[in-house]
Order: sequence, then structure tokens, then C-alpha cells
Amino acid sequence: MTLWHKLGMGMAVSGLVLSATLAHADDDKIVVGFATAASGFMQAYDKPAQDAAMIKIDEINKAGGLLGKQIEVVTADTKTDRAEGAKAGLEVIDKGADLVVVSCDYDFGSPAALAAESAGKISFFLCAESIKAGIQGVGPHSFSASVLAPVQGATMAEWAYNKKNARKFYRLLDTWTEYNKGICDGFDWMLPRLKDAKLVGEDTFKNEDASIAAQITRIKSLPEQPDAIMLCSMMPGVVSAIKQIRAAGITAPILNGSGVDGSYWLSAVPDLSNFFTPVQGSIYGDDPNKDVTAFNAKYKEVTGADPSSQYVYPGYVMIDVWAKAVERAKSTDADAVVAELEKMKDEPTLFGPRSFSSEIHHQNRGRYLIVETDKGKPRVIDEWTISEAIPVDYLVSK
Amino acid sequence: MTEILQVVFDALSLGSLYALGALGIALIFGVMRLVNFAHGDTMAFCVFAMLWPSVDAAAIVFAGNLPAWLLIPFILAVGAGLSVLSEIIVFRRFRNTNPATMMIASFALGFVIRYFLLMLYSSRPKSIDLWSNLGLPVEILGARIPLLQVITIVTAIAILIALTFFLKRTRFGLEMRAAAENFTMARMLGVRANRVIMLAFALSGMLAAAVALILVTQTGTADIQMGGNIMLIAFIATVIGGLGSLPGAVFAGFLIGAIATVMQVVLPPEARPFRDAFVYAAVIATLIWRPNGIFMPKSAKQRV
Repeated sequence: MTLWHKLGMGMAVSGLVLSATLAHADDDKIVVGFATAASGFMQAYDKPAQDAAMIKIDEINKAGGLLGKQIEVVTADTKTDRAEGAKAGLEVIDKGADLVVVSCDYDFGSPAALAAESAGKISFFLCAESIKAGIQGVGPHSFSASVLAPVQGATMAEWAYNKKNARKFYRLLDTWTEYNKGICDGFDWMLPRLKDAKLVGEDTFKNEDASIAAQITRIKSLPEQPDAIMLCSMMPGVVSAIKQIRAAGITAPILNGSGVDGSYWLSAVPDLSNFFTPVQGSIYGDDPNKDVTAFNAKYKEVTGADPSSQYVYPGYVMIDVWAKAVERAKSTDADAVVAELEKMKDEPTLFGPRSFSSEIHHQNRGRYLIVETDKGKPRVIDEWTISEAIPVDYLVSK
Repeated sequence: MTEILQVVFDALSLGSLYALGALGIALIFGVMRLVNFAHGDTMAFCVFAMLWPSVDAAAIVFAGNLPAWLLIPFILAVGAGLSVLSEIIVFRRFRNTNPATMMIASFALGFVIRYFLLMLYSSRPKSIDLWSNLGLPVEILGARIPLLQVITIVTAIAILIALTFFLKRTRFGLEMRAAAENFTMARMLGVRANRVIMLAFALSGMLAAAVALILVTQTGTADIQMGGNIMLIAFIATVIGGLGSLPGAVFAGFLIGAIATVMQVVLPPEARPFRDAFVYAAVIATLIWRPNGIFMPKSAKQRV
């Protein structure tokens, strides 16, 4: 027997001892594993929602824990890399995770979610807004904590129709991501349901386009200007698009998804007005629910900064609904918890009701606050829930 | 008629950006056969030089608050400085290697710059409002053109004229053209290689800075990946213009800008998401027609 074999055996034995103690330790604690990006470009998107999740975990622990046990957190860095994502998923599962939290984006989160799925564990996307982030793209144990992008487009269309009297819509799609396309898909689904509403024109651009002058020329040459422009885009190109649209003297209301929430970019378009977005909760201190404002203060206390956008909130919602399901199932067993999650129908959370079913582990309908930006100042002016849920068949077909 | 004029201005302003980008690449290729893929990241660096390093979501504008007469020279100096520094630290050591090695080195350098920015500023795009009054439209022959478009076009033309003057009428310019034509022969005739190459890098860096200023005024956004797209198109422009040919790069830059704008106008809505596929199909067609580019420089002839 060589030295290496001896060493290997020694390590295997100590490994056995270690895993035995781990298994023992598992009995008096519940483990939440974050297989998220702690470095690379996704970090800026994962970290805020993860911080919010930690606040909820802390609240639960302080209130006596879950099923009488404390929640322990383990983490692994995906480094914003898909291959590393799968490894990070396995790593947190090895550390005993009962819940595997994965990156905000479907493409970056799915490797870890798939690892969790094959280990029979529940996975939650921090804030992915594609139908694939759940049963359809990962499997029956996968969920997303946010609301589908198509709901955002549908919400804005129906709200503008009812509250802004918009009849003539213009659709401007940034073809960069599935998220953008999702917003416009929801808009497309809603439009025929609005009596007398019509599309007076449409165009596409690419997020990285240095100039959208040609697209703007097309809007300006319309025989009559639209009542509202449905812009389906996201950072960073959306800022450039809005800036150029307003610079060209087009003053029509611009509607977008939640991806543009936050005041951090408004300095690029000084005195922006007539701009509307849907949000799950307000970061501007004017949420109709006072508890949201209290949460914002708590978030600032913990992280040292105010929430920069509404994408902080799904992290909190995620732990909230999962913990409730664990309490109801009286177990962390994946199948039992999934069954409890699927029973949730308009389950109240700090950031609007949540529903899951055996068909969809995402929100195809949801309450949204409407934020208007007027003279560069965003504030909540209304709230809206679409009149009917977007059918799963439609979402999957897109 | 005004609509056509509008399209012409749209095409010219986009083309100006591409032409300035392509020129920055062609200048360096001319003197040392290096396709500098770090050029796009130099642009991003120039944009971020206006901000104070922070990973907060909101940008802390620092140098960007300077008055224009100070800010423009400052950013040009940043571009030139970074570009010259990359030649001294990196490219000088690769001067006698083959072009493929140099190209890989430039890729690597681009990543280093990009990740340096990521470290200081995080990956979140930042917003910065630079000269927003330039966004106001002006009326030219009945078409309403944003002032910035006019300025972009005028700036590009002014830079091109100044550069032509510099290359044709000054001693440095002469040395540079000689080096671009036949580097070994130029050296034998007393052209100092390091000086010419550094000058080319400085000019190229300033062109990157000019593109950066125009881009940030137009988009209001600083993003660590912002140079990538312009870099790609500028590179293609230098290829179809004829690698090493300065007028070729400029012409092709305008050509690609025009094709992209016209495609956006004439394609039906269903085909518009694939606009770039049509643009690149036009590029392929051009290369089949003229494999060495539209303006093949004399120096390319013996090399093929």
C-alpha cells in the first residue's frame, strides 16, 4: 500500500466520521444553502435579494426558529459562471442544504437548480422572471420568488388603458434578453383583450445599439403619435433608449417592466416625466403598506444602504413562503414542502399575494404598485392587478 | 423628403461613431500589424474615468462635473495615457512575435482592463448625465435633428480633417505613414520605431476617448462592457476597408452605419430583430467581392 493510499483511506475514514457528525447535527438545525454569485457581474444582482433573505432568516431565528430549530446558512460562489454554478449547487447540498437558493437569472441559476433537482431538494430562484424558472425549465421542486415578466407587460397595458385612457399603443422591443421579450409577450396577450385598443406601430432594437435614431424616426413619422409606448427593455440599454426618445421630443407616456425600478439611473435623463413602471413594493418610502417602509429601514440598517430597486424584495418573500410551507408540512422533506407551497393561493406577503400550483411555480398574476416618474421624481400613484391570470399554455408557447 | 434627410442624419451620426472607432484600430494596425482588441475596453475606461470608484448603484460623478473645456482634454489624456501605457507595459514585449500572439495579448489586456473596472465600479451600469442640453433638437431643412447628432458628425469630420492634415503635413505624420507602408524600411531610413508606435497608440487612445465622450453623452450610461459592440463593428470596418488603410477604415465605418440604419428602416417588423444578420451578410458579400477590403493598402500586397 503506497503512502497515498494510506492517506486516502485515512481521509475517507475521517470523512465518514465527519459526515456522521453532520448528519447528527442536521437534526437540530435547518440549512438554507445559497448557490449564488458572490463575484462576477451577477453579484450586483444576487447580493441585494440575498441580503433581504438573510433579514427574514434572522427574524425567524430570533422568533424561535423554524419547527423549533435554528436556520443555518451555507454559501457557495457561482462566480457568475454556469459550470461553477452546478458545482456551487452540489457544494451547498453536500453541506446539508434543505433549500437551495440560486442566482437571480434563469440562465445563471439553472445549473445549481438542476443539481438541487437531481438531489431531490427544493430550489428557489432569487428573482428570475421567466416561466422556465420553475417546473417548466428545472423540475417539480423548483420555484421562483418573483413575478413573471409577462405579468409586468400585461399590467402596464391594462393599467394604461384604464387609467391613462391609452388606446393607441406603440411597441418597442429590445431583443437582447428573454426578460425583455417576456414583457412584450405579456403586452401582446393583453392588448386584444382591451376593447378599441390597437397597436399603431412596432419596432425592435438591441440593448447595445449605440444609437436608436432610426427607431425614433419611425415613431416620429407616424401619422398620429401613440398614447403610450410599451418599451420592453432593461439596463443598461433602456436608459439610452429613454434618453434618446425624450431628446427627440417624443413626450408620450413610456411604460416598462420592473427592471428599470430605482432612482439610481434617473440622473442620466434629467427631469424625466410621464414614465411608468410596475413594482412589487416601493423603495421610495411611500409604499401603502407601512411594513414595507419599516423593512427598507431595516435593510439600510443591515447593509448600510437603501434598497436600490424592488429586486431586493423577492429574497424576503422567498424565505417567507418557504418557511410557512415548512411549518405547515412540519418537516423539511422536499415533497411535503412542495405540496404545501402548491396549496398557497393568494398567500399574503409583505410584497403582495403569492400563489403556487402543481402547474406553475411562479406568479402569472400579481398585484403591482404603479410608480410614476414625474420631473425626475418617482412615486407610487396607483396599484393594479391584471383582470385574469396569463394562461400557462400561452407562457410556455412563447 | 424630410424623412429621407432624417435617415441620412441617422446614418451619418452612427457611421461617425463607427468611423472614429475603426480609425483607432487601423492606426495601430498600420504601424505594428496589431489588431488591438483592448480598444473597446479603453473606451469604457475613459467613460469610467469621469466617475469616482464605488460599487453603489448610483454613480458618484467626479471628473464628469468639470467644465467641458477641462473635461474633454482630461478624457483625451486618459485615453492616450492608458493606450501608451498598454504599449509600454504589454505590446512592446510582443513586437517581434507573430500577429496572432499580439492579438491574443490584446484580448487579455482587454479583460484586465474590464475586470479592473468591475473591481472598482461593480458590474452594474451607472448613469451619468453629460451635457444633456445637447439632446435638444435643432431644425435643419425641415428635419428635426438632435443637436448631439449634428455635433457627432461635425466632430468626426473635424477629427478626420485634423488627422489627415497631421499625417500629410507634419514630420510625425510622414514618419507614421512611412512606418505603415514598410516598417523595416522606414526604420532603416531613420524613423524611430518607439516614437512612431507610441504616437500611434496615443492617437488611437484619444480616438477611443472621443468615441467614449460621444457615447456617454448619447446614452447617459457607463457600463463595463460598453466598448464591446463598437469595437466589434469597428474591427469589421477596418477589415472591409482594407486592413491598414486609414481612409478605408473611415469609409467602411460610415458604410456600416449607413447599412445598419437603412436596414432598420426598410426591413419588415418580423425581420428587424435579425437586422445585424443582414448587415453582416452585406459584410460577407463585400469581402467575397474584395477579399482584401475595399481600399487595399499597397503594403498588404506583398504580404498575401
